[in-house]
Amino acid sequence: MSDPLAEWQRLSPWAMVSLLLTQAAAQGRQHLPLLLGAGAGLTLLDAIGWRELLLAGGGALCLALLLAWRYYRRFRFRLEDDVLVIHSGLFEQREYKLAAHHVQQIATRQPLHMRPFGVVEWQVVPLAGDASRITLPGIRQAIAEALSERLSPFALTPQAAAPAHYVLTARGLLLHGLTSRSVVVAAAMLSPLIRPLERWLHDIAPSLAWRDWLPTAPLLLAALAILAVLAVVLLLSVIAAVWRFFGYRLVEHGGRQIQTSGLLQRQRQSLTLSRLQVVECVETGPGRLLGCGYLVCHQFGGAGDEGRRFLVPGITGGEQRRLLAALWPGLSWPAELIRVSRHYRRVLLLRGGLLGGLLLAGSGALLDATLPDWQWLLLAAAVVALVVLGAWHRWHCQGWARSGDYLWVRHGLFGLRTHVFALHKAIAVDVRQSWFQRRRGLATLHLHLAHGRVALPFIEHATALALADELLVACASGSVVELPD
Amino acid sequence: MTHSDQPVGAEPRQGLGESPLLPLSPRLAPCLALHKAASWLVVVLAVAWMPLGDAPLLAWRAWLVAGVAGCGALGVGLAWCEARRRAYTLREHDIVQRRGLLVQRLQALPLVRLQHIETRSNPLERCFGLVRLACFTAGGRGADLLIEGLPAAQAELLKQQLLDRLASASRESST
Repeated sequence: MSDPLAEWQRLSPWAMVSLLLTQAAAQGRQHLPLLLGAGAGLTLLDAIGWRELLLAGGGALCLALLLAWRYYRRFRFRLEDDVLVIHSGLFEQREYKLAAHHVQQIATRQPLHMRPFGVVEWQVVPLAGDASRITLPGIRQAIAEALSERLSPFALTPQAAAPAHYVLTARGLLLHGLTSRSVVVAAAMLSPLIRPLERWLHDIAPSLAWRDWLPTAPLLLAALAILAVLAVVLLLSVIAAVWRFFGYRLVEHGGRQIQTSGLLQRQRQSLTLSRLQVVECVETGPGRLLGCGYLVCHQFGGAGDEGRRFLVPGITGGEQRRLLAALWPGLSWPAELIRVSRHYRRVLLLRGGLLGGLLLAGSGALLDATLPDWQWLLLAAAVVALVVLGAWHRWHCQGWARSGDYLWVRHGLFGLRTHVFALHKAIAVDVRQSWFQRRRGLATLHLHLAHGRVALPFIEHATALALADELLVACASGSVVELPD
Repeated sequence: MTHSDQPVGAEPRQGLGESPLLPLSPRLAPCLALHKAASWLVVVLAVAWMPLGDAPLLAWRAWLVAGVAGCGALGVGLAWCEARRRAYTLREHDIVQRRGLLVQRLQALPLVRLQHIETRSNPLERCFGLVRLACFTAGGRGADLLIEGLPAAQAELLKQQLLDRLASASRESST
């Protein structure tokens, strides 16, 4: 029987319709001012009536359909042994080739509108990183599964039978929504609405009888407004978490972790454990209060977009230990993290003091006459207290541990981030000594890892050199290109 | 050029801080100093010709220019001294570089992480017969190790040695 994947395959026609609509929406969104400007210009021209507009619209639609047809005709793919070959391009022909042993991660996404047609978006990330990601924008599910199976055995095969070793609970989902960085994203999304809302309230408020039921005390009013904004931001954040992580299951299968999640847009991601570089345990400030954190698994050239990263969300009840042990076999949790030198606290105090002094000087220049002396003293005392507390807390959070073949580096201020990686996963090391550090026999160790640089500040110079030596020795036996077994 | 090329296990591995380093070309110091001087000259000229109108700063312009020029002279002097301190070595499994004056850095890049190597030179470096060697890894977004101030012949030799190591490492990993 001939292998269907060895023949040239095309995208699904339904995917082309979806692609056409999403591209039109994206282009419209990107060039909205241009479109509005053109529309406004057209209304001023008497020579152009509805007939001309319809003709122009029809012409544009025909052109878009023609381009979509050309794209559809030109986009084809097939497997040549274990090499995926893709031909694409509207005006210039491009050929991509990706060998199975260069595959780092495979993901499929199925938006709601693709579900009735059994079409999925299939993505593969090569070892070169997320920037070289290849996407097949819409292929039939059966073809996607066959392709995943051939390029990366056990990657995305149905895992109905395989028991999940982590399932996100409703409580975990809610806590993740409340504590993750989505809160900040939601706040950033809402920020452009503040000015129009303020203007609207200013215009509409006199005509409404708000004064009858709103409290008159300005402080109470401000507190209520802040609470309302916070509630909206938290609600948006929870909705974002439900959208992305609803029904989250993590399954271990053939040396891979496979996650499935998504409310309307189902998403599957696979992570080859042998290519896992760093695991980052994240606990945000609110997350520490509510006892909820999440894990980020980093590979080479990881995505900047958090939506594409391999995340294990909503971890509660100290399940990090169990999950970390599953991701890094043989990992033992260190009894205690080693603190960095107390001189680091002094340096943080100095930096904070300088910044606070500058802030006070700036405020003094602006508000000199408006505040009485006792208020200035109060402000200065508050700044000093904040600087002292911040420096102490930052120093307290900074720590590291060597546990077997793994290194743990933790840092943070309100939240905590702990980077865990095998010694042989380091890319490069850098031992730095400032003038002050040389006098005290200290150094800062910069570790270049797959997801970026992690600093271990103010440790003993001899310790920094010894750690760097150990990392280099461990790396000498490793290799970036991990060949398949 | 001598490198510590002992076979694996023949001798105890030297620590990062103990490895003897090779100085870079003595022409690097004037080259970097000239580069720094040119950058500062632009700043000095900008301050000297900055239109101040009737601002009270006008009376202080000469002092301002002298201050900026003094800072520039200090920067050039520091760049000269820093260039004289720079050194590197190619060890059995890694390449090490020392740089920095006020903040001293000891960088080490394991050879197994190397993806590709580039040699670069700008017109000023070409005048001094110097070349930069840029080492790239898979995880980095730019050059992970940049060795400036290598004489052209030495850079070519070092590049060839690194390429040989890369080839042998890839042969070892494929067998």
